[in-house]
Amino acid sequence: MLDVLHSLLFSTLDAAPALIFAALGAVLSERAGVIAVGTEGMMRVGAFCAAVAALAMPTPLAVVMGMLAGAALAGVHGFLSIRWRSDQVVSGIALNLVALAGGTFLLESLYGPNGTPPIQQLARWNIPGLSGVPVLGALSGHSAPTYLALVLPFVFQGLLTRTPLGLRLRAVGDKPQAVATLGLSVPGLRWGAVLGSGLLAGLGGAVLSTAVLDRFEQHTPAGLGFMALAAMVFGRWTPVGAFLAAAFFAFGNALRIGLVSSAPGLVELIPQGVLLALPYLLTLGVLALQGQRSSAPAALGTPYEQESR
Amino acid sequence: MPERLRQLLPSVLSVLLALGVCWALIALTMEPGTATKAYLQMLWGGIGNWPAYLEGAAATVITRPLGEAAMKAALLTLTGLSVAVAFKVGLFNIGAQGQMLLGALAAAVVGAHVTLPGVLHVPAALLGAALAGAAWAGIAGLLRIYRGVHEVISTIMLNWVALSLVDNWLVVGPLRGAAEGGQSITGTAEIQATAVLPRLLGDGSRLNLGFPLALAAALAVWVWLTRTRSGFETRAVGLGAEAARAAGIPVARRMGLAMALAGAMAGLAGAVLVLGTEGRYPGTLGAPYGFDGIAIALIGNNHPLGATVSALFFGVLRAGGTRMQLLGVHKSFPELIQGLALLFVAGRMVWLALLRRRNVAPAASAEVPRA
Repeated sequence: MLDVLHSLLFSTLDAAPALIFAALGAVLSERAGVIAVGTEGMMRVGAFCAAVAALAMPTPLAVVMGMLAGAALAGVHGFLSIRWRSDQVVSGIALNLVALAGGTFLLESLYGPNGTPPIQQLARWNIPGLSGVPVLGALSGHSAPTYLALVLPFVFQGLLTRTPLGLRLRAVGDKPQAVATLGLSVPGLRWGAVLGSGLLAGLGGAVLSTAVLDRFEQHTPAGLGFMALAAMVFGRWTPVGAFLAAAFFAFGNALRIGLVSSAPGLVELIPQGVLLALPYLLTLGVLALQGQRSSAPAALGTPYEQESR
Repeated sequence: MPERLRQLLPSVLSVLLALGVCWALIALTMEPGTATKAYLQMLWGGIGNWPAYLEGAAATVITRPLGEAAMKAALLTLTGLSVAVAFKVGLFNIGAQGQMLLGALAAAVVGAHVTLPGVLHVPAALLGAALAGAAWAGIAGLLRIYRGVHEVISTIMLNWVALSLVDNWLVVGPLRGAAEGGQSITGTAEIQATAVLPRLLGDGSRLNLGFPLALAAALAVWVWLTRTRSGFETRAVGLGAEAARAAGIPVARRMGLAMALAGAMAGLAGAVLVLGTEGRYPGTLGAPYGFDGIAIALIGNNHPLGATVSALFFGVLRAGGTRMQLLGVHKSFPELIQGLALLFVAGRMVWLALLRRRNVAPAASAEVPRA
């Protein structure tokens, strides 16, 4: 029994960081009032660039390249939706489509259909003294992003709720006019949030190809960016909430995979498809019960126009 | 320049720019000559190889590519209409993909398990698909109307619910087709002969009744939106829900109806795919036509006929895309062109600002363009 729990926890801690980073990025962007539908595309670009970069440089540096690639895509999103006040959903969807088709095109023309050649994975850290402890030992033996993913949400939560910058970021998503009357730059704050969300989504993607796998696969991230949005909504647009939701989804997924291999009888009873649909159904249920207006940032999706102050 | 024409320019310029950028992309990764050849292959693969035909090849060098293009254009038209109709009432339907899955499944079930005389079977399957799509979209509509849940989030979630439930449960579980001749099959049971959409150009081409059906649907939506009272009210809600409410228009009913219609269109796309080409719900539906619909509708300026034109154009490119593989260019290349075109369309304001500076007196150029 303890063994089962140990391996479940271990695979959750391996798989969750990508989702956590992407969900944090989505929270950052949406709290500043910019819709984050493009998360999936940013993850894909981050995963692709990290995998390609890792062929030529040390893997940790390649992860940074993936982050920068995500931020570059976010830059396009910012240019269209902040500078030119375009529809944020349209811009995000366009980025998803470009990243999907562009990734496939580049992958096929550079490396063929089977993904990039294998790369050196991120090193795994063994925490001395912890390995022998039952269950808790599962904390040991992960790569650096896992530990970062366990700390970062709380840092973000503190930043968002306890610092002047956090107050300004939240205000820019709820009532940008108020921020502008204080003499602060609404576009500047939103740019910062969008680029930050690109870095985080890129990191999430990079983790997929350097820690979870050892290459970029054709379908990466296979909808994980949209699940990050679900985690954000489920966590009511707060960093810690999104973190808990993402961890819960990742645990559910690990449980599902574990069940399929160890208890096929149960899967007969509750089909896999139903389990796969569960995170999204739960998110829909939460939304239906509480209504979205109560927790989403008030000015989400509304381009800021100086004249309308 | 007339105002209506200027409205079209950003879309046209975006598509041209996307074609140019993608040409450069092949030219850079391969050779410039290959890029031009690949584009020609794409054209012949979409509208038919006219040079070969004029030199005496069989008529199938024309009808086969045209059939493929028409088939893809029909699907893109219907999903594009789905997105455009929702836009007209002010809703962003990202869920066309999920609605299409449900429609395809309904068509496959009615086509395989209901026995009806030939004249009734196809309409029954189409109706089932439309209702399934409408019901799936209706969930998002109701959540929006009664709980204020933004339709972008709810339709994204519904897409994944549909994908998980249909592809990972129903099609591999309860609705899986029985083994045929000792060979187990993927997907649902094959539809009966009476439910197959008839082919229009004989066996050499896959052009089927789905294409005229899609065009008729586009025309019907256009007439509804511009020539009927409920269509007018729908557009009024899209332009300003509060103003429409003040004018006595039943906003909730118009939103719900438009969303249901959007779902019905996406559901029909699924039906056309299943009844026209696949013959069953395959293991997985493959190409994400529902997501393409977003690009098609927006490039077509959210106008039913504009969406049809852009669907025809991209249908030709998509059909021709398979031919590009002969030159080592991946068949998903037209999707890249389509995605980039959407990205450039998203920069509509940039286009309008560029066009304005050149065409209007300098005094106006200081004014910032508005949505």
